[in-house]
Amino acid sequence: MNGTRLATWAALSAVLVLAPGLSYGQSTTLTAFDKLPDWTGLWRMMGPTIFDTATQTGKGGAVTPGVREHPPYADVYEKKYQEHLARRDVSRLPDVITNCGVPVGYPRILNLPDTYEFMVRPDEFYIITENGPNTMRVYTDGRPLPKKEDTWGTYTGVSVGHWEGDTLVWETIGLKGDRDSDSILDRTGLILSDAAHVNTRMRKIDENTLQAVLTIEDSKALTKPWVVTKRFRKQEPGLFMYDYGCAENNRNPVNTATGETLILGSDGKPAK
Amino acid sequence: MKSLCVVLLAALAAVPVLAHHSGAGFGEETKVITGTVKQFQFLNPHSWIQVNVTDETGKVVEWSLEWGSPNELGRQGIRPSTFPEGARVTFKIRPVKSGAPVAAFQAAKFEDGRTIGKWDGDAPRE
Repeated sequence: MNGTRLATWAALSAVLVLAPGLSYGQSTTLTAFDKLPDWTGLWRMMGPTIFDTATQTGKGGAVTPGVREHPPYADVYEKKYQEHLARRDVSRLPDVITNCGVPVGYPRILNLPDTYEFMVRPDEFYIITENGPNTMRVYTDGRPLPKKEDTWGTYTGVSVGHWEGDTLVWETIGLKGDRDSDSILDRTGLILSDAAHVNTRMRKIDENTLQAVLTIEDSKALTKPWVVTKRFRKQEPGLFMYDYGCAENNRNPVNTATGETLILGSDGKPAK
Repeated sequence: MKSLCVVLLAALAAVPVLAHHSGAGFGEETKVITGTVKQFQFLNPHSWIQVNVTDETGKVVEWSLEWGSPNELGRQGIRPSTFPEGARVTFKIRPVKSGAPVAAFQAAKFEDGRTIGKWDGDAPRE
């Protein structure tokens, strides 16, 4: 092997070895750890578990009859929402997470009680919720968002993001929405379709407050972009996030026939 | 350690009760019962206090009192030992509408006067 051929072989080998990594964008686009904001510690969502309190009408919580939100729904989804509200009013709207084991998905993962961790890394960002528990990952390694046809509808979809100064910006697609009737945004019965595309901008607005502004587009469910703001308050240092094995002692299964959440007595039978 | 527990318990005024499911099955009326703790199930997704209560006919009825997740309660000082087996406790509860001996926990008062939860006034609801 002469020098030229050896150099060519070496160059080709290098391309073949590096290509898989490069195809995922793991290159110079990574933001160094020390340039990333400090979102360490435990956090808690501020306000009730009503997804969009800015458009809420009616007083009370998500399961209070009369309470609803007002996303810019297309007629067909407004009708679906009204059907959910009617079932909610008579305690017959099932929340599948009550059965344990079903992820809440996105964007509901930003609408939960209990504690949160927001884990910042140069190549990835993680949302970890105690409740559920639930996990969501956002790739920040420079890879592109996949084509819609390369996604297949999951609870949290696929998310790719980047940093704009101290703001993490990410796009989420590939959500299953209401396709299988097992994904709602809150207990009023808000839903999105499998066409949902969410742009999220998250940053600290002060030392103890994280804010996520979600711009939701959905060609099936919405007539225009729906902007929702969720905020999270930092908890005091030293708190632990604990295991949440939801199936450990679940005495509140859902009656799948009626949609009613049951309350089991000491004999294991429904108490109502 | 005991004084720390007392402080923590006294500070426990508001606990998110039903993060895992809707509280719609419970009624609006508040009831007070006194009984003997049979078991404190400090387990996910909700803790339950099993209490034996002797009714007016002399019959012992086992009540199931649903409370918050051990995670939330644990961060506020509650431990599996908070309701020891055999303890005599008075509970403020919100029973289910059917009349079954199942209720949402509101507050508790021990024989020594210690209280847990919002003993005076109504506890917050979901």
